[in-house]
Amino acid sequence: MPLQLAAVPLNIDWQQILLHLLNFVILFAGLWLLLYKPVRSFMQKRREHYEKMDADAEKKQAEAEKARAEYEEKLAGAEQEIASQRRAAELQAEEYGARQRREAEELAKSILAEARADAARIRAQAEKDARADVAAIVTDAVEKLALKESASTAYDQFLAAVDAQSAASKKPAKGARTEKDHD
Amino acid sequence: MTKKQTCIFLIIVAAVIAALITGIVLTDGLYERDATIQETMQDVVLHERDKISLFGLAVNPGLISAFIVTGVILVFAAIVRIFVIPKFKLIPGKFQMLLEQAVGAFGGLARSNSPHKNGFLGAYIFAAGAYIFIGTLFELVGVPAVTAAGECVILPAPLSDINGAITLGCLSYLVILSGGIAANRLRGAGRTLKEFSLPVSMSFRMFGALLSGALVTELVYSYLALSFVLPVIVGVLFTVLHAIIQAYVLTMLTSLFYGEVSEPYVKKPKKQREKKVSSKTEVVQ
Repeated sequence: MPLQLAAVPLNIDWQQILLHLLNFVILFAGLWLLLYKPVRSFMQKRREHYEKMDADAEKKQAEAEKARAEYEEKLAGAEQEIASQRRAAELQAEEYGARQRREAEELAKSILAEARADAARIRAQAEKDARADVAAIVTDAVEKLALKESASTAYDQFLAAVDAQSAASKKPAKGARTEKDHD
Repeated sequence: MTKKQTCIFLIIVAAVIAALITGIVLTDGLYERDATIQETMQDVVLHERDKISLFGLAVNPGLISAFIVTGVILVFAAIVRIFVIPKFKLIPGKFQMLLEQAVGAFGGLARSNSPHKNGFLGAYIFAAGAYIFIGTLFELVGVPAVTAAGECVILPAPLSDINGAITLGCLSYLVILSGGIAANRLRGAGRTLKEFSLPVSMSFRMFGALLSGALVTELVYSYLALSFVLPVIVGVLFTVLHAIIQAYVLTMLTSLFYGEVSEPYVKKPKKQREKKVSSKTEVVQ
């Protein structure tokens, strides 16, 4: 038996209330499925996307800061290394210069020794040649004296020949002395 | 614009106004009401004479409005779901921003008023807000319908029907109750039942607000002298304000009470009780 409408004030109808309720439940379900949930889901995904981007950016920034600190540390180490290498190079250059100087001195000594030996050899040779010349002159003079001239003439010739020979032999002897003085 | 063109323009405007006034005066007799304004307004409240037949059931026009509004909203939502949401971009366009603002506003309202439990609440107040807002604006469209008695009526807002208002008020109360039970079991139910006047106040607040709008509009439309300019303010401005205010009030109240009953119970520390007891005894002494 249907409810009496007149019994309810303001014409409230329970059947229509249920119909309104059914209508709203359908609306709620439809809106939730078609609009609210997909839009919220999209907004949530976008928020997560930007949060992830933010986190990645922070992570990269932290890595960059770390790399920068390492770089600065390496840079400071490199400067120290450059200074130490410069010191080592300077020492090496000094050592090389000293060695070169020593070698030059040794070379100079050896050249000087050779020069002295040459000078002694040349002087000995000159003396030897002079003796041979004197002997030859004497021999020549004696022959002349013995064959053609008197003793006084021969003696004068002998003296003249000796003077000439000594004058000739003075030039190499003087050169040898100059080399000795030079040393 | 030359003087000649200005004269022609003014003559045309005057002729149109004269023709409209003549038409209004001549057609006034065609729309004489069978009922007095008192009877009309009584019908707006009680719907005793303007019931519409729905599959053999005599229902209030507000229920037909409710079905139409639901249908329109669901069709719109389906179109948006199929054609718009799959093309959503990370940087939103104008329409996407509008949708996100609507969803985000109700989600934010639920989250701010009920921080502990708000998943279902957000969806509920979104649906309720959309229903109240679009349902209230629906009366601006002026959809005609034929009553069971064969008369023509303009369909009102769904919530200007007392049954629709009671439904939404009581359903909101049930949602609050369910939130209390889900969060705090019997304590939550107790907290909700303490506010036993809430369904009545929410239902009749909404019914009264929307009915008063309908009554004022009906009153204004009943007199020829009030039919110029005034309906633009009464019909449009009041309705839009009603739509916004009522949607906000019901959703805000629902989320507020939901948050209150779903708030986790915090046991008071014993020290405070002891202090209170000791201070009372000191006062007594």
